[in-house]
Amino acid sequence: MTLCQLFLQPDAAYACISELGELGIVQFRDLNPNVNSFQRKFVNEVRRCEEMERKLRFLETEIKKDELPIYDPEDNPDAPKPREMIDLEATFEKLDHELKEINTNADALLRNFNELTELKHNLQMTQGFFDEAQAHPVGVLEDMAGEREIELGGQTTATAGMKLGFITGVIPRERMVTFERMLWRVCRGNVFVKQADIPDLIEDPLTGEKVHKTVFVVFFQGEQLKNRVQKICEGFRANIYPCPENPHERRELAMGVMTRLDDLTVVLSQTQDHRQRVLAATSRNLRTWQIKVKKIKAIYHTMNMFNNDVARKCFIAECWAPVSELDRIQLALRKGSEASGGGTVSSVLNRMITREQPPTHHKLNKFTQGFQNLVDAYGVATYREINPMPFVLITFPFLFAVMFGDAGHGLIVSVFALWMVIKERSLKDKWRTQEVWTIFFGGRYIILLMGLFSIYTGLIYNDVFSKSLNIFGSSWRVKFGDEILNRRDIDTVQLEPTPYNYSGTREYQQMYSGTPYPFGLDPIWQVSENKITFTNSVKMKFAIIIGIIQMGFGVFLSLWNHLHFNHRYAIYLEFLPQIIFLACIFFYLIILIFYKWTHFDGLVSTQAPSLLIQLINMILLSYPTEPESSRTFYSGQRGVQTALIIFAVICIPWMLLGKPIYRIIMNKRRANYSTVTNHTENAEHEIDEQTHENESTKKRGVVLDVDLRDTDTDDILDDDHLHQQHHQTEVEMSEVWVEQGIHTIEYFLGCISHTASYLRLWALSLAHAQLSEVLWQMVLHIGLSTNGYAGSILTFLVFMPWSCLTVFILLLMEGLSAFLHALRLHWVEFQSKFYKGEGYPFIPFSFRLLLDEVPIEG
Amino acid sequence: MKDDLFFNLDHGYAEGLCRGFKSGILKASDYHNLVQCETLEDLRLHLQSTDYGNFLANEASPLTVNVIDDRLREKLVQEFQHLRNVSYQPLSTFLDYITYAYMIDNIVLLITGTLHQRAIGDLLPRCHPLGSFEQLGAITVADTPAQLYTAVLVDTPLAPYFIDCISEHDLDELNVEIIRSTLYKAYLEDFYNFCKTLGGITAEVMCEILAFEADRRAFMITINSFDTGLTQDERAKLYPTCGHLNPDGLQELRRTDSYDGVRDVAARYPQYKVLFEGSGTNTGDKTIEDKFFEYEVKLNMNAFLRQFHFGIFYAYLKLKEQENRNIIWIAECIAQKHRTRIDNYIPIF
Repeated sequence: MTLCQLFLQPDAAYACISELGELGIVQFRDLNPNVNSFQRKFVNEVRRCEEMERKLRFLETEIKKDELPIYDPEDNPDAPKPREMIDLEATFEKLDHELKEINTNADALLRNFNELTELKHNLQMTQGFFDEAQAHPVGVLEDMAGEREIELGGQTTATAGMKLGFITGVIPRERMVTFERMLWRVCRGNVFVKQADIPDLIEDPLTGEKVHKTVFVVFFQGEQLKNRVQKICEGFRANIYPCPENPHERRELAMGVMTRLDDLTVVLSQTQDHRQRVLAATSRNLRTWQIKVKKIKAIYHTMNMFNNDVARKCFIAECWAPVSELDRIQLALRKGSEASGGGTVSSVLNRMITREQPPTHHKLNKFTQGFQNLVDAYGVATYREINPMPFVLITFPFLFAVMFGDAGHGLIVSVFALWMVIKERSLKDKWRTQEVWTIFFGGRYIILLMGLFSIYTGLIYNDVFSKSLNIFGSSWRVKFGDEILNRRDIDTVQLEPTPYNYSGTREYQQMYSGTPYPFGLDPIWQVSENKITFTNSVKMKFAIIIGIIQMGFGVFLSLWNHLHFNHRYAIYLEFLPQIIFLACIFFYLIILIFYKWTHFDGLVSTQAPSLLIQLINMILLSYPTEPESSRTFYSGQRGVQTALIIFAVICIPWMLLGKPIYRIIMNKRRANYSTVTNHTENAEHEIDEQTHENESTKKRGVVLDVDLRDTDTDDILDDDHLHQQHHQTEVEMSEVWVEQGIHTIEYFLGCISHTASYLRLWALSLAHAQLSEVLWQMVLHIGLSTNGYAGSILTFLVFMPWSCLTVFILLLMEGLSAFLHALRLHWVEFQSKFYKGEGYPFIPFSFRLLLDEVPIEG
Repeated sequence: MKDDLFFNLDHGYAEGLCRGFKSGILKASDYHNLVQCETLEDLRLHLQSTDYGNFLANEASPLTVNVIDDRLREKLVQEFQHLRNVSYQPLSTFLDYITYAYMIDNIVLLITGTLHQRAIGDLLPRCHPLGSFEQLGAITVADTPAQLYTAVLVDTPLAPYFIDCISEHDLDELNVEIIRSTLYKAYLEDFYNFCKTLGGITAEVMCEILAFEADRRAFMITINSFDTGLTQDERAKLYPTCGHLNPDGLQELRRTDSYDGVRDVAARYPQYKVLFEGSGTNTGDKTIEDKFFEYEVKLNMNAFLRQFHFGIFYAYLKLKEQENRNIIWIAECIAQKHRTRIDNYIPIF
């Protein structure tokens, strides 16, 4: 990774950036962080892009409203040239305008149409009312008249009733009730309201939603009431329609409305057709346009970050780029300059030297990406630090599998992952918004490896859905005589590896074949009473062995870090005490474990000393002879262990004091120099670094045409450097002490607690095995242990709950817990030994990344 | 204590939402940037980088202050409605109470509008959406307060507040203002009592805020009523009685008839004394109204310092309204190229 300066011709800048965006391997730095977003140079262009995006969004919503398909382009269109932008703008403007015009026309037509439909219904309904009234002259109007009699005193019946004024109209159905109540209140009960629901849905021209509406007729008497009713109608936004009193006129009006409606339908369908045509043409190009506009916008955003040098008439950009990619960047720049034509002076790439920490860039493929995400979730690697990903790649699925060891479950997991891997292409864009799915899909290769390793460890544990497989034939034969098996007073018999003495006779029976089961656990253990006791012992020891080896490996990785960063003092003052401490106590423990496994066979295993007590005694330096379990493994153990403990204890002050003292000495030595020599020394140091850098680049076979001695950059560097110098002396010594103290305590206590922490490998594995066994015993066993046809039916019924529980509890829940524990073991126990994770990721300016982003709904 | 334990059961989600919304309120640095904008387009660009996001992105250029105002209000109403939709009792009643104030404003707006012969269709869109109710459009039917009550308001939650106004004869401009003040007085007192019955921290926080609101109204009524022909007794009837001024301060206010008199009354209350001292009528000074707004913002900010109470919902709405006023102020200043007074917004953080 190197910091580069790009000098770009103003004309060529756009094309160059476009080329670089296609490449996607440089990360631009913002050179105007203090300038407001709206005060930058290309803010107008960005704004134009936003305007275009707005229009495109409008077009898209319109297309979606008509449910037309939007075609995805096959190829990746290049970022258009700046002058093409104007064309694009014009096209969009035209489309936008056209569509808006169509819409306003359609809206007007639709509104007209709706009004007419409402009028039509209105007429139909009112016709109904009046017919009814005429059919029963003493019905409705009679009631009205009766009421009126009370109010007005003596004006009578049907003929007077016909003089009643009325207003008809249409109102949304949900407002009808309040409307009616209001009318009643305002007119003090002097109106008569009749209503009927319109069966069809009528479109609201404003929102485009279909709503239920109701036709009403309000009968009243007098001008004043009419005014009030009209006002209320207005207030409730009811549409009032004229309705002639004469039935003949009504019929004529209805006819007129019908013909006008027919005309309108024709016109409406024509407008719709036109709209469809325009939209269909748009939908074909929409995605391409969107991509183009996005690219333009991104380019201008990037150019906004450049330094605009007025005097030299060029843009100055700073960017981080991988050293190995510099050739391609140069090529892209040249292409960009040529593409822009007029640029006589090609763009210049200039490597800069900086003290700033570069971003961390890992070359990844889709397989390693998932694992790198696991590591990055803890912290992005400090620049040039060892990346634990390649190791995590194997250890993570392995530790997971140790906890998840069941070949049957592993098989299901791997088949699921395999499906995701094989169908990768078609699944990629499916369910992109589903968070849970994207998590699973993103980790498909992790899951695949986890599944495969689970099959492996499951076979070693000889667990397939909690049952054992007897592939090679057990090494044990049960050859007890009937008299022993039939005895009532014992319910268990013990198999001994030694020849068994038949009671009474002189015959000996060999029950153990002498050769162990070739792979994994002997299936005979499946039927034994003490299976758990046995597997616990094995798994616990393995957990410790795996854990200590992984921690030791972590400490060794820190050695590589120290070597790379040239921290020689850290090797002596940190790495050595750490590894010695680990070796003296924990590697020794592993040796004891292996010693115990190899030196105590079936005959004497009961007399074997306990490892735990041995370890405690070793630390306490006490060597009692009673009880039996605390006897020593070998002669001279006392001397060896005492020596180891002394070594280990020496490591603590070594690490605690070493680094701070080294710092103090260095500070003093530095203080003795004058500032001038200091300066030169630093410069030498710098040159060292440069040559170092050059070597490393040469190694990669990249020859660079780089001017290392740019005056500008040197000045900047010196300033930087002095500043740093100043800063360094200011650091309080007490801070160093405290930091080192914490670091030391963390490491030494950590060694002990982390070792204990690895026991989770055993604990979870035990839990998983037991859970799956319980599930088998409590659920599936019911079906399998019933005889006859009932058994087959019962098995059928019971299989469903068993399989569901297996998937949800054993695979998902247990799998998740094992995953988290494996993650913790890597983050805390493994990476804490060497991994700082204080870097920041390299985010290149890339069109591909930009377009891959899921568009935000809104 | 018990309330605190179970608060999150019903209102935890709403409170979380509200606090989330609150964290989107513009900071001083945002205002700093907004003030520097040259055009409304700049304003839009900058608002995009804040919590407002793309709320203006779909508006065609050129932008006008009205559009911004509409969108701001729309967003605020949307958020409030969302809070209202996810709320349980008694929070939902509390939120409804907040909307009553907007109803009063809407009614008064419509009545004054019709007095000036404006069409109801023009007036309705100008009503605040939070305070709209079904019968709102029919307000024009009423000619007298009594009619207004029996025809329109009797079904609304405002009915009990209106009983005191029925005696008025005619709906003229002064009467409308009196109706507004009476309604507001009844509303504030009712809201105050409601918060009291809720008890706990809600009561503590809200009573403080509402007491200030009551006092502010008392001050403003007094100041605005000079030379309007309103008698002292009539004026006294409009004072909300749930504030700190009650009863002595209100009696004093009743008797004063000059700005200095009001200032003297305020001088007896330390919290108002500072406000009146810091304000002036000269150009360049902050008006007493601005001072009140500032104090209100402070009270509302304080509401967020406490947990398990409803005050934050009220405070959030008020703060957001203040923010909208600020943005509109800045936008107006930009649009009218009147930049000298652009800094007169009321900072929230």
